[in-house]
Amino acid sequence: MSVPHVLIIGAGSTGSATAHDLALRGLRVTVVERGEIASGTTGRNHCLLHSGGRYCVNDQEGAIECIEENLILRRIMPHVLEMNDGLFVALDDEDYAFKEQFLAGCAECRIPAREIQVAQALKIEPFLNPRIKAAVQVPDGVFEPWRFCVSFLATAKKNGATIRNFAEVQDLIFQGNAIAGAKIFDQRTGKTESIGADLIVNATGAWAGMVAAMAKADVPVAPTAGVMVAIGKRFNNMVINRMHKPHDGDIVVPIRNTSIIGTTSWRVTQPDAIEIPQDQIDKMIEAGQLLMPILKKGVQRGVMAVARPLIASANVDARDFSRTFEAFNHRKQGGAAGIITISGGKTTTARGMAEKVSDVVCAELGIHAECKTKTTPLISYREFYN
Amino acid sequence: MALNVTLRMFRYRPDQSARYDMFKVTVPDAANVLDAIEQAWAQHDRALMFRHACHHASCGTCAVRVNGREVLPCIVPVKKYLDGDKPLTIEPLKNFSLVGDLVVDVANFFQKQAASGLVITRPTENKLEGKPIAYDQGLDPASVETVPFNRFENCIECGICLSACPTMAASVKFFGPASLAALERELDKTTDPQRRARLLELADDEQGVWRCHSAWECTETCPQNVRPAEAIMALRRRIFAQRFGFGK
Ligand SMILES: Cc1cc2nc3c(=O)[nH]c(=O)nc-3n(C[C@H](O)[C@H](O)[C@H](O)COP(=O)(O)OP(=O)(O)OC[C@H]3O[C@@H](n4cnc5c(N)ncnc54)[C@H](O)[C@@H]3O)c2cc1C
Ligand code: SF4
Repeated sequence: MSVPHVLIIGAGSTGSATAHDLALRGLRVTVVERGEIASGTTGRNHCLLHSGGRYCVNDQEGAIECIEENLILRRIMPHVLEMNDGLFVALDDEDYAFKEQFLAGCAECRIPAREIQVAQALKIEPFLNPRIKAAVQVPDGVFEPWRFCVSFLATAKKNGATIRNFAEVQDLIFQGNAIAGAKIFDQRTGKTESIGADLIVNATGAWAGMVAAMAKADVPVAPTAGVMVAIGKRFNNMVINRMHKPHDGDIVVPIRNTSIIGTTSWRVTQPDAIEIPQDQIDKMIEAGQLLMPILKKGVQRGVMAVARPLIASANVDARDFSRTFEAFNHRKQGGAAGIITISGGKTTTARGMAEKVSDVVCAELGIHAECKTKTTPLISYREFYN
Repeated sequence: MALNVTLRMFRYRPDQSARYDMFKVTVPDAANVLDAIEQAWAQHDRALMFRHACHHASCGTCAVRVNGREVLPCIVPVKKYLDGDKPLTIEPLKNFSLVGDLVVDVANFFQKQAASGLVITRPTENKLEGKPIAYDQGLDPASVETVPFNRFENCIECGICLSACPTMAASVKFFGPASLAALERELDKTTDPQRRARLLELADDEQGVWRCHSAWECTETCPQNVRPAEAIMALRRRIFAQRFGFGK
């Protein structure tokens, strides 16, 4: 039997990691992405390689995924990470009271965490608000989102995958009740073509509902926007988080010579070119300045917003949707065969998401192939262009 | 407040002659040029090809020319260009081959970057905005790494300096300002004599530092303050020093 062909739609962190996983398992892989690589949610996210600290009290399942994947990514893609840890700081009595719960949460999720003296924290990070009441160090990191994706894709390409950006899926091709391929609009040529596939992976993130609709299927993806403000100076080496249950504007992520303050959370109806309410921006800048008063002096470089592909649950506030992920085999839910949707999660957990959806893909295709991505170092993103 | 702006957009496909399309868009007061380009795509023409990812000057993909000058549209405000109802002309970078609309082929550039071997993370100085930091006193050896803080290189590989470079315009074989600057950074970082010799050889190549006419355009246009022109001068000094056996 010839090697099955899997068509992955979307080259954000999820699709890119999945391309790498499946190529490594020996499948024939094609990725189609409607724009530049990482031009969806992944590129414009907060760049935080989560330690899981942020979720260790509210969403422990999500937190455990984070720390496990964080430690794996440090090994397989150190070249696209800034690995300077993170600090969770208490600003007021309420935060301080939360500390014990926070430390217990870290311990339960096996996130290495330790409290450090306030005076010492201020020595490491001299621009922290000097009035902080406590500081806890955790292994947060920072990734460069575009290079994160391109590293996965470069490695996938080396292992035989075909990567096509500027190629948009406009429709799916049915053969009876099963999906047999997709209709692609190639922006480079202006032509439409069909690509046949034994299986399709829908990794379109916040757009997953639209692609699933082409398969006449429904996925409970709830596009939940968040805004970030980039400041054109860097005042911290470690990621600075506020130590309390997730709030708006409570993280300052340093990357290169900028600082990114984020982030908020509100439901949107569609994920393209999101309109940003001014009050979201103001609220967040204010909260960022509480952590690091010097941010007032930085010049605002830009404001951006994108939507999280969260899995919706009824009667739950958007901020509280779980940050975990799910793979939907539409055939098993009475829908069309031949298409799997992977959604939710984070960029930090992209490799784990890819492992899970690739397991589903292999089971569906009746293939036995083990996941090898935990221990396979990625090649340089620059080799994508070889 | 909202701004109404017209974009005079360069349009190109390999099988068509190039033209300019006019797109009227409305963007928030604080919008950057990239937001306006994205609006043109969202509201007017889904076939518009442009590159973008991070929107905060980190990925380096979105570089274009606005009114003839190379910029990162993700960090320049639309407001800066507003002049009555004169349109903003948006064009792709020069000195790269065209792929479609604003998208150029960066393969050659990334191959040169790979040849320079520059690792994109570097140890940070022990200062932040002039204030000393004591990282060695804070990090927990048990948590993860014990190495000093690191950060990404300033160069985001956006290609702006290549587009602005007159030497590059004369010959695309030129190693180019960004990759020469990368050689200089690597030389700064590495002590391995063999590797140093190899890097200097690359700089001294026929397509290396001697082709530069010191137009200084690279340093002037670089959005990240990398100063490629100064790096090229430093490389020349290193080569002289090696040739005549003095200095490092
Ligand atoms: C504000 C905000 C901040 C965040 N910060 C962090 C953080 O700091 N750390 C972290 O780990 N996670 C973070 N996340 C979460 C993370 O960004 C997302 O979970 C992740 O990027 C989703 O990746 P994805 O590949 O599933 O989706 P995407 O990156 O959106 O990829 C989907 C791709 O599919 C493409 N596509 C859509 N439709 C089609 C079609 N018809 N044909 C072809 N291609 C198509 C899109 O162009 C897009 O590139 C953040 C999310 C938000 C919203
Ligand atoms: S040196 Fe500056 S202009 Fe040139 S590629 Fe690097 S960041 Fe861009």
